[in-house]
Amino acid sequence: MIEVGSLALIGALAFALCAIIAGAVGGKLRSARVVKSAERATLAFAAMITVAVVALEYLILTDNFHAAYVAEHSNRDLQTFYKVAVLWSGQEGSLLFWTWLLAMYSALVVLLNRKKNRQLMPYVVAVLMGVGTFFSGITFFVANPFQELSLSSASGLRPFSPADGNGLNPLLQYHSMVIHPPMLYLGYVGMAVPFAFAMAALITRQLGDNWIRTTRRWTMVPWMLLGLGIILGGNWAYAVLGWGGYWGWDPVENASLLPWLSGTAFLHSVMIQEKRGMLKVWNVVLVITTFFLSIFGTFLTRSGIVSSVHAFAQSNIGPVFAVFLAIIVFFSLTLLFLRLDHLKSENKLDSVISRESGFLFNNWILLALVFAVLWGTLFPLISKAVQGQTVTVGAPFFNKTAIPMGLLLLFLTGAGPLLAWRKTSFQSLKRNFTVPLAVALVTGVVLFAAGVRHLYAWMTLFLSAFVAVCVLGEFWKGARTRMRTAGENFALAVYNLTMRNTRRYGGYVVHLGIVLLFIGFAGLAFKADIKGDMRPGDLLRVKDYLLRCDDLVSGETPNYEYVRALITVTKDGHAFTTMHPEKRFYKASQQPTSYVAIHPGLAEDLYVVLAGMDQDSGKAIVQAFVNPLVVWVWIGGFVVFLGTLLALVPSRVEREMATIRPGHEMAVQSDDVI
Amino acid sequence: MLLGIAIVMLLGLAVFVAAPLLSAQTSSGTLPVDVTPLGDLKRRRLVVYENLKDLEFEYQSGKIDRQDYESLKTNYLGEAAALMATTRQAEELKEKEAVIEREVTARRALRRQPRSPQYVCLKCGFENPVPVKFCGECGARIAGKS
Repeated sequence: MIEVGSLALIGALAFALCAIIAGAVGGKLRSARVVKSAERATLAFAAMITVAVVALEYLILTDNFHAAYVAEHSNRDLQTFYKVAVLWSGQEGSLLFWTWLLAMYSALVVLLNRKKNRQLMPYVVAVLMGVGTFFSGITFFVANPFQELSLSSASGLRPFSPADGNGLNPLLQYHSMVIHPPMLYLGYVGMAVPFAFAMAALITRQLGDNWIRTTRRWTMVPWMLLGLGIILGGNWAYAVLGWGGYWGWDPVENASLLPWLSGTAFLHSVMIQEKRGMLKVWNVVLVITTFFLSIFGTFLTRSGIVSSVHAFAQSNIGPVFAVFLAIIVFFSLTLLFLRLDHLKSENKLDSVISRESGFLFNNWILLALVFAVLWGTLFPLISKAVQGQTVTVGAPFFNKTAIPMGLLLLFLTGAGPLLAWRKTSFQSLKRNFTVPLAVALVTGVVLFAAGVRHLYAWMTLFLSAFVAVCVLGEFWKGARTRMRTAGENFALAVYNLTMRNTRRYGGYVVHLGIVLLFIGFAGLAFKADIKGDMRPGDLLRVKDYLLRCDDLVSGETPNYEYVRALITVTKDGHAFTTMHPEKRFYKASQQPTSYVAIHPGLAEDLYVVLAGMDQDSGKAIVQAFVNPLVVWVWIGGFVVFLGTLLALVPSRVEREMATIRPGHEMAVQSDDVI
Repeated sequence: MLLGIAIVMLLGLAVFVAAPLLSAQTSSGTLPVDVTPLGDLKRRRLVVYENLKDLEFEYQSGKIDRQDYESLKTNYLGEAAALMATTRQAEELKEKEAVIEREVTARRALRRQPRSPQYVCLKCGFENPVPVKFCGECGARIAGKS
């Protein structure tokens, strides 16, 4: 199987190179058959990478420790569930996995565009396979997962197969690790598709409406998956790392946030181009930036240039990635510069108070946030280069910069949709802002009266109320109009309203999800924690909860040894729950880890960690946290996901636009649409 | 065994990729043009109509002031009118191009037919496209018909 994997990788590399050449030549000659060959080479690339992935999974599942990757990252007693995840748990395997996802995206692009975007497709294929060549090349030549173990002896090297592997990193042995990396990777990798369409549009000079619509849809999918991956990553950190939080401004967390932020900026500014034919250059820049940041995120995770709790794979692939990043920047910006004449704006900004300027403002803040996060993430490198010593900026720096910007964005989430396109008069402003502001003010007063004194938390909840009323008001006003004009009942009116413009109302659902996320963030201001040594019978109090240690039991499974604390919790004198936090020691990897016990609730989570055992006293070191509103982060993330899915459903106009074909352009029923 | 299957698969895929290039059918055509200026114009018009519908809806739902509504509607209608004018020009151009294209095709087809020497004017050398008694260019009698 090891040979099969290597052969598949080299075959995939060859097909990727064929696809680049055939794509470029076919596009230049406009030859349908050469382009067909390029597309087939892309499908062949996907098939070969799939064979490589199957080969590696086979080696992992059959405990073939002759393969160095399997010996390094797996062991016999690892559950099958986690063995599957070994594929993306190390450097070599995760790069192969990255390449495979790119191959799947590329194959999907080819299959879905057999009858459309025919002029763009040769270059789309060439660009995608350019990225594919880089990743399959690096997987084959630099970080090959199919390397064999051997021992040197007097007669030369002879094959070696250890009795068992080193095992999977214990921190990765958690259920969401099976789904979180694939989601994150699907987000990262998927950003290659809009980039490829943008480059193809620049090369062919087809910079009209068509490419931007195609690119938008192809951006929404990876944006949604990246967001889901980030949330699942937060959930993993919360449940596994045992420090009571879900986001620590770790470089790898930041790396995943960066393309999501620039992607968010693109998904907003693209509307200005579609509606008003403006910001054409800016949108191309955002597509390039998002793709660049995706590769940069992968680079940051893989290269080990910055230390991180999430960077499980580190090696010397950094320089190769740096060269690739430089090529991306040079190639895309040169092309953009050469096509500036084709990207002239069709309209001007009519008024400062308009939907367009709201989107612009949103873009500036998002990009400022990208810059701030990037600066903080790279500061250790910058300080090392400038001052000669590594200075790390921690959470306080990020909180100081990101929270005010986040609050401004939250305000725009509600205010933006209330502004009309082109211009909004003071009368319209007054009409739309009065009710949301009034509700927000009442909420603010109630919060203050209830004792909320933390400024940022108060502002977050105040703005959340404002945005929620704005968004729900949009549904209410729209539905009421339909009830009046079409005679529909409320439920039907909301349904028809949403389905008529899935993108807009899906977007509003996303905004509601963002509100829930911010409510979850606000809870951080009210968290409480306590740490204490406990032996059976000891008590520990945190806020309204009283924890009593009933027993400390130890035992072992084939994979790990454990100490478990049996804790009974009472709240305000009433029995509340029992919790069983564990300290585990994994045998194969010889590493300890904590298994956190969480009692989730809509108002607050009780979070108990068995941090360790005091060897002298034999007591368990227990840390207990009360984390208010955390569950709303997960719910908000899920609502964002649902809203994006809704926005992806093609609306009537989008379906009509998709039917526009050469020779049938004039079928517009203008009477029907006006 | 597995390596053998993988090699066969690799070769099969290589044939699959090369097949369009090696096909005996040399003129499988050029890439179809699926994005035309007229198509782009139609998309722009659909967007403007959609903007108008949104405006109307937002006005009815009380989100937009009457003054804003009137002024924005005038703007959008102006934009729609300009786009319709541009579309009409593009259509006329396209029709003219289609007529020229048809004539060129017809003439090319005629040229491909073996030309009877009788249709060639001996006086001015003009190749008359159809059977005529007199030259369409100089009016001289065509030799073959005399």
